[in-house]
Parts: sequence; C-alpha cells; structure tokens
Amino acid sequence: MTNDLMLLLPLIIVGVGAIALMLASAYKIINNTSAALGSALVFAVAFLVQLSFCLKGNAVLFSDTFNGILVANTFSKGAGLVILACGLFTSLSSQTYFKQNDFCSPEYYSLTVFAASGMLLLTMTQELISAFVALEIMSLAIYILVGYNRKNVVAAEAVLKYLMLGAFAGAFLTMGTAFVYGQTGTTQFAKIGQYIAANGFTQSPAIIGGAFFILVAFLFKAAAFPFHAWVIDVYDGASMPITGYMATGLKTAIFAVFANFLVADAQLHAGWITFLFYVSVLTMFAGNLIAIGQYSLKRMLAASGIVHSGYLLIALVAVSTEAFSGAVIAYYLAAYAAGTLGIFSALSYLSGKDEKRVTFDDFKGLAKVRPYSAAAISIFLLSMAGIPPTAGFMGKFYIITSAIDAGQVTLAVLGIISSVISMWYYLRLIINMYFYEAEESFADTVPSSLASACTFALAFCVFAISLYPLAI
Amino acid sequence: MFADGLFMLFAVLAVLGAAGLVLFRHPMNGAMSFVITLISLAGLYALLSAKLIFALQLIVYAGAIMSLIVFIIMFLNIQPEDLPKEEGKLLNILGALIIVAPIGYFLVKIVNRLPNATTELLGNNFGGVKPVGLLLFKDWLVPFEIVSILLLVSLMGALLLAGKKKEVSK
Repeated sequence: MTNDLMLLLPLIIVGVGAIALMLASAYKIINNTSAALGSALVFAVAFLVQLSFCLKGNAVLFSDTFNGILVANTFSKGAGLVILACGLFTSLSSQTYFKQNDFCSPEYYSLTVFAASGMLLLTMTQELISAFVALEIMSLAIYILVGYNRKNVVAAEAVLKYLMLGAFAGAFLTMGTAFVYGQTGTTQFAKIGQYIAANGFTQSPAIIGGAFFILVAFLFKAAAFPFHAWVIDVYDGASMPITGYMATGLKTAIFAVFANFLVADAQLHAGWITFLFYVSVLTMFAGNLIAIGQYSLKRMLAASGIVHSGYLLIALVAVSTEAFSGAVIAYYLAAYAAGTLGIFSALSYLSGKDEKRVTFDDFKGLAKVRPYSAAAISIFLLSMAGIPPTAGFMGKFYIITSAIDAGQVTLAVLGIISSVISMWYYLRLIINMYFYEAEESFADTVPSSLASACTFALAFCVFAISLYPLAI
Repeated sequence: MFADGLFMLFAVLAVLGAAGLVLFRHPMNGAMSFVITLISLAGLYALLSAKLIFALQLIVYAGAIMSLIVFIIMFLNIQPEDLPKEEGKLLNILGALIIVAPIGYFLVKIVNRLPNATTELLGNNFGGVKPVGLLLFKDWLVPFEIVSILLLVSLMGALLLAGKKKEVSK
C-alpha cells in the first residue's frame, strides 16, 4: 500500500504542483521568472522521486480502489523519467526564451506542468477510457501552449489545425474503444488480451476495427504517415520551447501507451505487424523527403521528428509481447529527447527577438561568433543523425538489432538507409555554421542564461546516455 | 416491436440532426439541428433504461450547454453577409461521401457482427442514481477523478485564449 503511494508520488507531485502554480499565478507577486523556477522545481523534485525508486518490477497501483487501471512497470517508470526531464528543460529554456518574446504569463508554466501530468497518466494507464482522458488532458494543455501568442497569426493557424485534427483523433479513439468494448465487454488492456487469447484475433471484426481506430488515433498523435500533415505547420506555429516539448514529451507519452496497448496480446501485435511495417517505412521516407525540402530550421526539425517516429515504429514492430520491457523504446526516446530538447533550448536563446532567426542561412558562421553554442548544436545534430559515440547512435543501434532479432531484416536495412538520407539535412546546418563567414554578430542573444545552461547540460547528457548501455 | 420502432426513429433523427449541424450554413440553424441530435440521444438512453443518463443528457446537454451556445450565437448577432462563401460545397460533400463510403461499409459489417445484439433489459434498478454512482466511484474511480484535471485545463484554456488580455508584466 505504501509502496503504491510511493510509485504514484511523481504523478501526485506534478498534479499538486500544477494546481499550486495555477493558483499562485493569480497573485501579482508571482512573475514569469518565479513561475518558471517553480515549475522547474516541481519537475526536478518529481524526477528525483521517480529516480529514487528501483526502476525494475511491475506493480498494479491500488488494485482494489483503482480497479487495476494504473500500472507502474519498468517501461512506464522509464518513460516517466524522460517526460519529467523534458518538462524540466522546457521550463528552464522557456524562461530565457521569454526574455525576448513578451507574450508570457505565469499560467504558461502551470499548463506545462498540467501537460506533464497528462503524459505521466498516459504512460501508466492500462485502460482505454483513462487513456482517452489522459490523452485529452495532455492535448488540451498543449493546444493552449501552442496558441499562447495570440497576436501571432501563424500560431492561431497552428492551434486551429491542431485542435480540429486532434478532435478527429480523439473521436477515432472513442469509436475504437466502443467497438472493443462491444466485443470484449471490457476496456482494460489485460482483459482485452485475455479475450483475444481465448477467442482469436481474426475471429471478431469488432476487435480488428476497434484496434484499427485506436491505432489511427495513436499514429495521428505520433505524427506517423499518413497522419503527419499537421506536424510541420503546428511545430512551426508554436514557440521554440513548446515545439521541443511537443516533439519529445508528447511523443514519449504516446509511444508508451501505444506499446502498452500493442503488447496486450501476442495475436493483437502479430495482426498489426504488416500494417505497422508499411507505416513505419512510409513514415521514415516521407519525413526525410519533407525535411530535405525545408528552409526553416524549425520545419526541418518537425519533419525530422516524423522520421524519428518511423524509427520508433520499427521498435514497436520488433517488440516482443512475452517479456516486454520497452527498454529499447524508452532508451531511444531518451536519446532522441536529449538531442531534440538540446537543439530547441539552443534555439530558444539564439533565435533572438520574436524568433527572427529561423532559416538555415540565419545561422551561417555561428561557429565563429559563438563557438561553444555551435559545438553543442553540432553534437545534438550528430546524435539525431546517429553518429557514434552519441546517444542517438546507441538508440538506433538497439532499434536495428532488435528488428534483426525479430526477423525484420528488411525493416532494419530500410532504417539504416533512412538514417543515411537524414545526414543530408543535419549536416547542412553544421556546414552552414562552420564553413561560412559570420554575417552577423548574434549580439542580441541573452549571453549567459538558463537556456544555455540547459543546452550544455543536454550536450553532456547526449554522451552520458550513450555510456549507459542497455542490458538486452 | 414498439421499442424497435422508437429506436429506429431516434437513431435516424440523431443522424439527421448531426448531418444538419454540419450542413446548415447559419450557425443558429446548426445549433437547433444539434439539439435534435442531443434529444434523440436522450431517447436512446431511455430505451436502454439508463434513467440517470437520460435525465442528465436532457438537463445538462440539451438544456444548459445548448442554451449557452444559442445564447452566444445570438450575442454575436451573425448576419448572412458575415458568413464565408462556400463554393463547391456540394462537390466537396459528394467527394467526401465517396471517400468515406468504404469505411461506412466496414463499420456496418462490424456492427452487424457484434455479439449480444439482442439482450433483455436489466432489472434491479439498473441506470438509477445509486447503481450509476456505485459504478462510477468503485469501478471507474480513476477516469472519473482525472476528468477533473481535464476540466481544469480546459477552463484555463478558455480564459487564456479567449479572455481579456492582461498587461504583460516584465
């Protein structure tokens, strides 16, 4: 009982912290900086509490009271750590970002924490209705954060697109849940798995249709092909730190619940392997094609986020339902989060007032003026491209080997090819930073700030994560 | 057989109302059409002898929420010339119908093969306040509680996105 409470504690801290920040932001004495530090504190405490428990072992939290809906397993704890770290770095780099962009209010940080509470719930839930509510908590908070700058037309367009299409995804999830419930009489993953194991997956069209709709909703949120069209505009419209948060924290939560649902039963997973195979291949190559054509850095990173969703789908195809630990997925998510958050926190202090530096050309010659920042950005880009000895390389390595172990050699080869193609747009920025004369002095960037501290901490993380190999 | 007839009536009305919501040009007509959907849904709940949900559907959705929406639409005083031009609407609808038709066919197949298509109504005060409350607070405690966070977030969102802009404090 006490143990359950301890495992639930990170979620409780985040939830209480969000409500406290919301109440505090009503007072004049709380300004943006103190709200930012407050939210960072909430994330840091929750992170340390999460870290202080043994990550191994499964526990159904309060199985009588909660009716087996919340489960804390190795995977959910690992994903929770990634989410809390994402929240911490987002809060800190937002503080710097809003020194040059003035549309912030203290509620911004409260919403960041609320979004994290939805994400944590999403990683732990083992039931479809709770998953839907948690998904909506996360999505609603993110919608508001995307449209926070009300004077910006691009942000308004982004939030409208995201809200409309997100509502479609939510409707698909509800529809799928209804079908699955109609057939099996339950919405819990474990009981759905038992039903399928007893009656067979292909015997009931309602389960196939229901699972299809649920998969569509998850694929939409994870920005997989063919549901990737919204990503570029939404990431472009959101502010830098929020784009980073969406690309990392949100994706972690979605892939956590996606994996938890898929491993409910071996037949369920096997039934979707072919479908997920094609989706992941198309996601990787469509993302690469889009990324190559971009001139804006933010849009390129959005498109590269699609490609990384493709790699994660490879891991989902290869996942084993018998001894599911999700280690490969969690590791890749951590590696990807370190790289992406790093580059977004660097952009938070380098992009200048009202994000005036956004294209590749704007960063020409950065290495001459700001050598350390340029070096850090290069590390993040190399990690995302998958060059050893960075975390991104190890993450890709584990995904490719797990695919080969699962007999998906074609998929592994296609993953490597896609990774080679992705060098094109990652190296393009490095070349722009290093092989051109500086055209401007980047004098208006905040010199020493929380965001630059985050950047260097994350550059360290990129190497640290790669030195912490998985025991497969 | 009388119940079957009622079911068909309510189901058709619900779908027609939803279609009207999308197709009517003026928001007020759309809102009125949506009221029909909500009331027919209440009828469907009543056919399932879900008394509490039936009452809540009428009071909360068809009553409170819809009157608020209608009030806001009237408050905005939308004239026909304020509405955007919808050219090629029929063509768009036709195209969408053709695309959606296979999915609809798929859905019909699924629904026809659902088990327990014919079930007896449960007695034992099913759908009353007490059984629903017990179910909500015993079996479905987690979703019920986390919905409160969802409502809080949406409340904040409404205030932040639509509320009066505060002076930015540096």
